[in-house]
Amino acid sequence: MLPYFRNGPVAIHKMKYYFHLQFRITNRKIKETGINPILAYLLGLVAFILIAAYLFQKTEFAKYIVLLTCLSLLSKLSDSNRTDFLIATFGDRLKNKIRILENGMVSIPFVMVLLYQNAWLEAALLWVIATIFAVFSFKTNVNFSLPTPFAKRPFEFLVGFRKTFYLFPMAYFLTVIAIQVGNFNLGIFSMLLIFGTVLSYYPKPEQAYYVWVHAYTPKKFLLYKIATATQYTSLLVAPILVSLLMFYPNEFHIVLLFFLIGLLFVWTIILAKYSAYPNEMNLPEGMLLAFSVYFPPMLLVMIPFFFKKSIQKLKLLLDDQD
Amino acid sequence: MIKINGLHKTYGNNEVLTDINLAFSKGHVYGVVGENGAGKTTLFRCIAGLESYTGTIISDLNPLKNHLGLLLTDPFFFSKITGKEYIRLLCNARGKTNIRIDEKNIFNLPLDQYASTYSTGMKKKLAITAILLQENAYFIFDEPFNGVDIQSNMILTEIILKLKELNKIVIISSHIFSTLSDTCDEIHLLRKGAQIKSVQKSAFKDLEQEMKAFTIGNSIENLDLK
Repeated sequence: MLPYFRNGPVAIHKMKYYFHLQFRITNRKIKETGINPILAYLLGLVAFILIAAYLFQKTEFAKYIVLLTCLSLLSKLSDSNRTDFLIATFGDRLKNKIRILENGMVSIPFVMVLLYQNAWLEAALLWVIATIFAVFSFKTNVNFSLPTPFAKRPFEFLVGFRKTFYLFPMAYFLTVIAIQVGNFNLGIFSMLLIFGTVLSYYPKPEQAYYVWVHAYTPKKFLLYKIATATQYTSLLVAPILVSLLMFYPNEFHIVLLFFLIGLLFVWTIILAKYSAYPNEMNLPEGMLLAFSVYFPPMLLVMIPFFFKKSIQKLKLLLDDQD
Repeated sequence: MIKINGLHKTYGNNEVLTDINLAFSKGHVYGVVGENGAGKTTLFRCIAGLESYTGTIISDLNPLKNHLGLLLTDPFFFSKITGKEYIRLLCNARGKTNIRIDEKNIFNLPLDQYASTYSTGMKKKLAITAILLQENAYFIFDEPFNGVDIQSNMILTEIILKLKELNKIVIISSHIFSTLSDTCDEIHLLRKGAQIKSVQKSAFKDLEQEMKAFTIGNSIENLDLK
């Protein structure tokens, strides 16, 4: 018998055990990266505070970035398979309690930051959305597959777009608002939102079979992935790009610069992924990427570095001869 | 032609394949049999180049992997990808871009549905369809008949015989002996990672009897069923 079931109401002990297990799983994952979990939590907290402070110092849209970052984390917890597992294991009521607690724990640091920055409305909004996300499960009909313009070159954009489709109308709506109220920065932010979403399609390595199956050399494989990502990202960004160029013709150089930097980040994340393949990207790749966000010219060094490393890793699965 | 010479595979100190020597010729179907853990899947993964090994594997078409259709025992499918998109992914990977997928849906699969919602048998049929449309010269089917309905098994048997007619090399593993005796020209028996024997079609009955005797032995009597 597990010690957590000995005393008190069963439901509370089940929840305690669930969260205890989640904590252990998280610690295990941290340990796998070679870092002491306590040190990782401390570093994470410090990094979170510093990044938040930096964002609020640099841009007036920091509160939206905080809001969207938190929502993207919450959406991962709302995965339908995960929800099904919780319902099957704990029942509907207990699942709701667990999910509310989970979303609460994830949201607290973000809500604190928003409150500290006097963004009361956004903090309240985040709290309400976190609760809604916890209670409702957003399931799609299994027989319905969301049409996408990406069917010709599977798989990253097909899978990614279907998981994040709701973010695109939001981004395009923000662009419309940006044009209506004459806020150029908001327009740029909406474009960055698309790039941020696309970046989320890449970090997880696919099964070896889906690399192996390609009759390409490692170099051709990487170029194919980069070309596909460039084409499809441009397609998603195009409505915003064209609108900003039309309504802010004097700022065309800034618009194009952000577009180019966005694409470079997409290339970098693809290369960073395969540079660690078949493992998941880890601390070194993460740190290099974070440093590139802080100092984008670093991308010009990072791209060839990750490219070379990716070629070495892919040689294990792909033939190197043309 | 595919030739395997002195192949060894180890995981740490554990040798899972020991001195495997096999030759596969065009226009022939080969069976690989053995108990669970005998090393069949590892052997297939070595041939495909998904595992490192010592020894040599040579083929008339190079690199071998680019001409190989590999059906894994338990194929993985992405969560939000339809059957048709899965086939396109595998065909694109081999540079086959102008394939009329709907016309070649031999198992009548619901290709516009997400593959992750398919049953086990449907998933296997989808994976088989995809590797057939890649137009490979070599095929490895790791347990293709498992979980697939009788009608589809009949279609699959005919497909394998057609591949033989087309001068392809087909290597199959199966735990159902009759599926192998219907299709194979030669069967290789593996036991604990070692190549025990190779048997031609004329001696399949003897092999089946021998395997039965070895596997079952007195174990049923020992159960003392009442």
